[in-house]
Amino acid sequence: MSRITLNKLGKSYGQVHVLKDIDLDIVDGELMVFVGPSGCGKSTLLRQIAGLDRPTSGEIRIDGRLVNNVPAADRGLAMVFQSYALYPHMSVRQNLAFGLENARLPRAEIDSRITEAARMLEIGQLLERRPGQLSGGQRQRVAIGRAIVRNPTAFLLDEPLSNLDAELRISTRAELAALHARLGTTMIYVTHDQVEAMTLAHRIVVLRGGQIEQIGAPLELYNKPANRFVAGFIGAPRMNFLECGADGNALVLPGGHTLNKAVPAKGKVTLGIRPQHVKLAANDMGTVPAEVTLVEALGSETVVHTMAAGNQPLLLTLEGQHKVTAGEKVHLKFDDDRLHLFDVEGLRLN
Amino acid sequence: MNAQTPSSAASRLTGALLAPVRYLAGIIDLPLRGLQKVTGLTGMASFFLLPNMAIFTIFVLLPLIMNVIYSMTGGTAIFLDSRTFVGAEQYSRLLDCGSYLDSGTCAEDRFWIATSNTAWFVLLQVPLLLVVALVTALVLNRELKARSFWRAVFFFPVLLSPVVVGLIWRWILQRQGLLNLMLFETVGAQPHTWLTDRFWAFAAAIGVSIWAHVGFYALILLAGLQAIPKDIYEAAEMDGTRPSRVFWRITLPLLMPNLLVVLVLALIRAVQVFDEVYVLTGGGPGTSTMYLIQYIFETGFASQLRNPGLAAAASILMGLVLVVLTLVQLGISRTNERKGQR
Repeated sequence: MSRITLNKLGKSYGQVHVLKDIDLDIVDGELMVFVGPSGCGKSTLLRQIAGLDRPTSGEIRIDGRLVNNVPAADRGLAMVFQSYALYPHMSVRQNLAFGLENARLPRAEIDSRITEAARMLEIGQLLERRPGQLSGGQRQRVAIGRAIVRNPTAFLLDEPLSNLDAELRISTRAELAALHARLGTTMIYVTHDQVEAMTLAHRIVVLRGGQIEQIGAPLELYNKPANRFVAGFIGAPRMNFLECGADGNALVLPGGHTLNKAVPAKGKVTLGIRPQHVKLAANDMGTVPAEVTLVEALGSETVVHTMAAGNQPLLLTLEGQHKVTAGEKVHLKFDDDRLHLFDVEGLRLN
Repeated sequence: MNAQTPSSAASRLTGALLAPVRYLAGIIDLPLRGLQKVTGLTGMASFFLLPNMAIFTIFVLLPLIMNVIYSMTGGTAIFLDSRTFVGAEQYSRLLDCGSYLDSGTCAEDRFWIATSNTAWFVLLQVPLLLVVALVTALVLNRELKARSFWRAVFFFPVLLSPVVVGLIWRWILQRQGLLNLMLFETVGAQPHTWLTDRFWAFAAAIGVSIWAHVGFYALILLAGLQAIPKDIYEAAEMDGTRPSRVFWRITLPLLMPNLLVVLVLALIRAVQVFDEVYVLTGGGPGTSTMYLIQYIFETGFASQLRNPGLAAAASILMGLVLVVLTLVQLGISRTNERKGQR
């Protein structure tokens, strides 16, 4: 197990700054997820920690030891690649043994570790096959097995589920969580899928443009997003945003409707409300009028697309099945306790 | 006033350019329709294949058949009607040997000298070429400054005519050549007769043919190297693999399909060695750099007592060797394809 600390970490390619002043402390045994849109620098950050790239500035410490110039193999970490990166000309057993042979471990020790990993991942029957003869899910297990046999102090996983189909992704996600619980080893997990991040992480790091937007537990990010970007990125469907005016005691929505709400600011603000926190109202008391444009009946829930408050798109997710049709005029009721307010800079106000 | 828009002008120009095509199409349309009625659709396919088939027949198939016929005739006459049928006599003469390891015991000793020279050339040139091509590809695959320039430099000799290659190297290696001049200027060495010394002439033939062809094979290997995913090397780095072990355990096995293709192509090419070496050494000194193609050429066309039948028989025997090598190459390609599909 290990603690990984990043101090003012930066990475540039010429004039392009991919990572800027990253400060992060990943504690022993933690499952930390880096999440963000494509190009936000999450994989680059993982590669700096792995030792596959050298940072331009700042420090990487593993258990207090500065490792900026320590080769990847000597950092005690193991990585699972997005493409799995299995050696295609070697059998599964040879793939698992390769790193251990490099470390010149005794044959008996190598065999014992392979047997244990194969038992844990249920790949014992695949040991003599080559990667080309395995399914995507099986390859993924072998890639994890290759990391496990090295007994690393931390696992680094770079979008390990992105090549799996939706069903397999869900079951493998659960297996990964169980594996982490069993091993108790520090894990850093990179994904662009916020659902994966929410379901797996102890803490999530949201990245954008090479900078950390927010670090926190999944529900903390969901309930109290630090800024408009995090609010929009975490949660599905994404949060609705309405540009409003504020006078301290009320919000004036586009189209002239007002919501009585204490606002710690005056002037232009952005109101954020998650689709789950908007309901259909029976009357027009304290509600916002809207017109339904599309209804997606998913069985367990109904997603209703509307144009509301001065013709702005607004989405609501209703539990169960509802008889709503496109073109219908409705009234929307916002849950007052779940309103998020952001200033013109996009920072949280309430 | 009628303003002419650009689009209408363009369409008029296109119409004018296409007019002759339409006219021609109009002329041939009717006979082609008539022909299709007679031959049917599949017959039309054969009709359109006819020009290519005719070229193949005239320039490949007929010469091949004529070559087989020539190999069963005797005499010095060029035209078939003046030649006498001798059956397998030419083959018997070529293969008539007391010991195949000693050309002096053979009826046609020059054929066996050429065969022996070709065999040595293949045995030495092909492995050397493979190693040089592999090293070149490995170097060109690295993050070099001006990498495209260096790739072009190594590929450039492939574009040269073999005659030009031979002439360039003769100019360098002859007694009054550039190499001797440089050696004299730098270390004061006396001129050496590179091309009239048996050992050095053979070495020069191998060296020049490697220089002329290595770019092509290096390019095939470079493509193979670039097809190896970067992730695999990064996984090896995470696994703490030493660079030499990365080469032997990862690069080389993953490059093996390309290496096999290069090996077979280089073998076929080496068996056919002729033009650049002929220009460089003329097969000399003596017969030390005379290879099979030169023997066939000289026996059939260039010697005073020419024997087209014997040359044809020798070319058929060499052709059989090439057919075997080509079948091996096809087998390897198909195995690679199957592996790729898995």
